[in-house]
Amino acid sequence: MPDFEEIYKRYAPQIFRVCLGYTNDADQAKDLVQETFIAVWKGLPGFRNQSQISTWIFRIATNHCLRALEVAKRMPSAELPFNLADKEEESPEEKLSLLYRCIAELDETDRIIISLELEGLPQAEIAAVIGISSGNVRVKIHRIKDKLAQKLKVYEQFR
Amino acid sequence: MNNLDDLRAIWHSAKTEDLPSSKEMMQMVRAFRFQKLRNKWIVISLSIVFASLLVGVLIVTPFKMVSTYIGGGMIILADLWILISNIRSLKRFNQLEDCSNLEFLSFIEKTRQNQHYYYKNTLVKVVLLCSVGLGIYLFEPLHQHLLWLIGAYAAIIVYYGLLWFVVRPRSFARNQNKLDAMARHLNNMAGQLK
Repeated sequence: MPDFEEIYKRYAPQIFRVCLGYTNDADQAKDLVQETFIAVWKGLPGFRNQSQISTWIFRIATNHCLRALEVAKRMPSAELPFNLADKEEESPEEKLSLLYRCIAELDETDRIIISLELEGLPQAEIAAVIGISSGNVRVKIHRIKDKLAQKLKVYEQFR
Repeated sequence: MNNLDDLRAIWHSAKTEDLPSSKEMMQMVRAFRFQKLRNKWIVISLSIVFASLLVGVLIVTPFKMVSTYIGGGMIILADLWILISNIRSLKRFNQLEDCSNLEFLSFIEKTRQNQHYYYKNTLVKVVLLCSVGLGIYLFEPLHQHLLWLIGAYAAIIVYYGLLWFVVRPRSFARNQNKLDAMARHLNNMAGQLK
């Protein structure tokens, strides 16, 4: 059986980024990471390698995200262009913040799919986490990328 | 910044150093592992203790009237009903962790329906069984003292009246709002995956 501490060290940053992609709120994302690893700790003795451990952990994390009814958004999206308008060059933090804001405007399940894709999970694994076919995941990722590109383009117009 | 590789690079630049260390996480896990389903565990434990106590009383005390045993049996039955529905719910939660998002959404919807059924049906039957059982059970110890009998039945009627006409509708309305919000949320998300 894999060791909990090793699992935590390996997956906690990934889970945090996915939860942050869903919530766009660092504190809420940390809470979700904590809930996820409490569930992992409880479920680890019964984990029978029927799926990859990463699939299992991402399933737990994304299910906890979906259960969060009220998800905070740091800033209403409509205000964003005015706040960024006077900046000449975006810092890495601003780019990251912009990316998270754009993701936060997507539908809940789209947020999860694009977060897993950006995290680098293979599409077959994303399909296993979400519960839809790989073909469906591919189509969805294509559409989500288009939506995201459009949102980023809109924000960049205001710069 | 529109290129997927660019986005990945930005995505991975998120700072994760503030996350708790594995040792801190272990401490949190130990502190919080029972908190989530604490209420269910409390109800289950209290139900077991109460049922055991009542069974003990019915066995040890030599009651003369059959009605006392029938009343006690009805209270125990109501108690076991609560116990079983909470154990089933706990079991469902424990089976939950390795399921896809789609399965999880249908699980939550099923839980919502179960909760609705619990408030609309199970709770009604349990309270009815328990209140009638209590009324019958108390008859033997009180029937020789008319004032005590009237006082006890009046107290039971007032208590269950309050529970039935004040507490239950309020609690039901509060939970109904939560469940309705959850239903809208789930329908919306399930629709996104079609």
